[in-house]
Amino acid sequence: MALDEVDVCIVGSGAGGAPMALELGKAGFKVVVLEKGAHYQPKDFVHDEILNSRRNFFMPLPWDEPHLLRGGTQAPFSRTNEGWTANCVGGGTVHMSGYFYRLKPMDFRLKTELGAIKGSTLADWPITYQDLAPYYDKAEEELGVSGNAVPHPFLEPRKGNYPLPPLEEHPIAKELDKAIKQLGWHSLPTARGILSRAHKGRSPCSYCALCGSYGCEHGAKASTNASLIPEAVATGKVELRPNCMATQVTVDAKGKAKSVVYLDRDGVTQEQPAKIIVVSCTAIESARLLLNSKSSRFPNGLANDNGLVGKNLVFSSFGESRATFRVGKNKERWPWLNDVAPFVNRSVQDFYMMPDDKFGFRKGGTMGFMWAHPNPIFAAVGIAKKGKDGVFGKQLKDRLRDYRDSRILQFEVYGEFLPSDGTYVGVDNNVKDKYGLPVAAITITRHALDLKMTKFIVERGEEILQSLNPDKLERLGVAGETKILQGGTCRFGKDPATSVLDKDCRSHAVKNLYVVDGSFMPSSGGVPVTLTIAANAFRVAHGLVERLKTGKM
Amino acid sequence: MGQTRRVFVQRLAFVGGGAVLVGGCKDDKVVDAGQPAIVRKPHQALTSSHKTFTDTEWDIVSAACERVLPKDEDPGALDAKVPEYFDRILQTPQLQKMKADFLPGIAAIDRRANRMFKKGFASCTGAQQDELLTLFKDSPDKSGEQRWYETLIVLCMEGFLGDPSYGGNQGKVGWALVGFTMVGAEAAEPMPGYDGTKHIHTAMCGGGKGC
Repeated sequence: MALDEVDVCIVGSGAGGAPMALELGKAGFKVVVLEKGAHYQPKDFVHDEILNSRRNFFMPLPWDEPHLLRGGTQAPFSRTNEGWTANCVGGGTVHMSGYFYRLKPMDFRLKTELGAIKGSTLADWPITYQDLAPYYDKAEEELGVSGNAVPHPFLEPRKGNYPLPPLEEHPIAKELDKAIKQLGWHSLPTARGILSRAHKGRSPCSYCALCGSYGCEHGAKASTNASLIPEAVATGKVELRPNCMATQVTVDAKGKAKSVVYLDRDGVTQEQPAKIIVVSCTAIESARLLLNSKSSRFPNGLANDNGLVGKNLVFSSFGESRATFRVGKNKERWPWLNDVAPFVNRSVQDFYMMPDDKFGFRKGGTMGFMWAHPNPIFAAVGIAKKGKDGVFGKQLKDRLRDYRDSRILQFEVYGEFLPSDGTYVGVDNNVKDKYGLPVAAITITRHALDLKMTKFIVERGEEILQSLNPDKLERLGVAGETKILQGGTCRFGKDPATSVLDKDCRSHAVKNLYVVDGSFMPSSGGVPVTLTIAANAFRVAHGLVERLKTGKM
Repeated sequence: MGQTRRVFVQRLAFVGGGAVLVGGCKDDKVVDAGQPAIVRKPHQALTSSHKTFTDTEWDIVSAACERVLPKDEDPGALDAKVPEYFDRILQTPQLQKMKADFLPGIAAIDRRANRMFKKGFASCTGAQQDELLTLFKDSPDKSGEQRWYETLIVLCMEGFLGDPSYGGNQGKVGWALVGFTMVGAEAAEPMPGYDGTKHIHTAMCGGGKGC
């Protein structure tokens, strides 16, 4: 039997779902938030690497809830846990590192900037940077972003500086500043979704260094479980239901979204009717939920009349290199090298957009510098390697001791990931998860321009690291993609024939259905997208509240 | 032990890799298609100190761990009680698949030892054990042997460098070796009495009926 109808049912409590819950709750609407994962409390965030990174505390196990993944449309699928973000209240914002960059104005009109690109389905956004800017301000304020906006060629227009001053930095940041300036580029402080000061009743960062891949027990990260969700629940209008797995969004005879069917924490099927249904489970999982929501009106999945749900999937192009500095050898010049201060917080965006295609590409991205993650198991498994490169015994122990006596400075590239017909998510009816639902099947085909671009930026990053005279410089990859940064599977646009959502992130076909995770993005941008998802959700919430208040649905 | 190598390879569909554990669907279907499970006949009773392994398996795993992380001027795998970690972690519900894959691999390397050196793995010399481990390590991509070696390495690193509440890294000797001083110094230590294995269950289940 169905539960009592509410105004809005939101599926997912992360960067997209939480701003919606907060704004709708504040406006007085009755909201239910369904979250498939648990509601972890600060005490649950223990500094235990096995718990956090190596089991299913955040990500499901590939035999319980697999994703199927293949490179290229002809390859066989493999089971993986890639493509998931944290399954818990707060979603990916819980275990994120919190690199909170904004997109640039050109990201909203990239197709116009670049012209049509062969082999890519790139499209302009139906909104401009100026449309989103006030909501970037709001998201930065609500979530608490620490940073310092400095002038550089690609600085996005901003009303003012960040709501919180930058976090304290490791002395290496100053060395990077000098090296980057010497090369003629701009060294930028990286804005972080981490509190440098107390903010909205939350404690500031304690600089524990176990940050990304962990939940913050102080609530200092801009995780929605620490910030927006408690605020939303405090309105008295928002009910959070953790451990509830949405299985289907149903429609009525007229094709309007009617309810969300879900399995509650006891595994019992429940049905939550709502006037408005908001889906926000990550680009991959939202597409899966819609594709698994078949009805006579929508035989190919909800809101999928044009077959575009799941298409145009984008990630973030990824490359990285690392420089090793022996502590003993560098003692004279850098006596502070072993300082445990966790944050480097430097970025370079000089290659965000190239003026011409002299280097074979135009749209680039961002390079972010950081200390290598201090998790010892992660480090040791990497050091032991495998196959012919694998080492064990004395050789392995010697390398572990070398690691102990060194510091590793690295950079990551967050580059444009061009959408194409070869990168998409579907569902595989032959492979079911532990709930009996068809799982998401992800196909990734990389565009040659992205690979050229990533390699170019990695090479520039290596020039920076090299100029610091490291004892070793190692390239880890130039052709990857960050699968926790997802977008595109329900792209928004003006034309119902070529997009799934309208500019308000409302389904063209189902007027009371919204999707507010990264799915709406027709292009990936050259930065991690978490802040953009939150800002856009505030924008969508604003429009929805207006519409609900005026009754003009 | 009439198990063929082919079955062994098929059973080893999943291994411990990068973040968690990955494997191929093709192999999985073989298992799902009702492939008879390997019959393990423990020829010795399980002892109270180890719940997953027979005595023989315990000795083989212990010997292999110590070859991966031998004691030298710094403590090794046995000092850290890494085998204890293996034995306990393979009891957890999440890793039953890994356990089912890992145990036949222990028998496989023991058989290989018997063929090559006419004695069990645990009785081989260190050099012979290294030779056997290298053979497994360098086996073709995705072969059962290579995957077993990867699981061995991953569990060794977890047991040597994980939270001591899981049974390994006793005296935090693993953390000392790699200079990991953050937990307890920069980052808060788990509360006294913390048990990672229990915590993952109680924190995740949300108090539902399956709890």
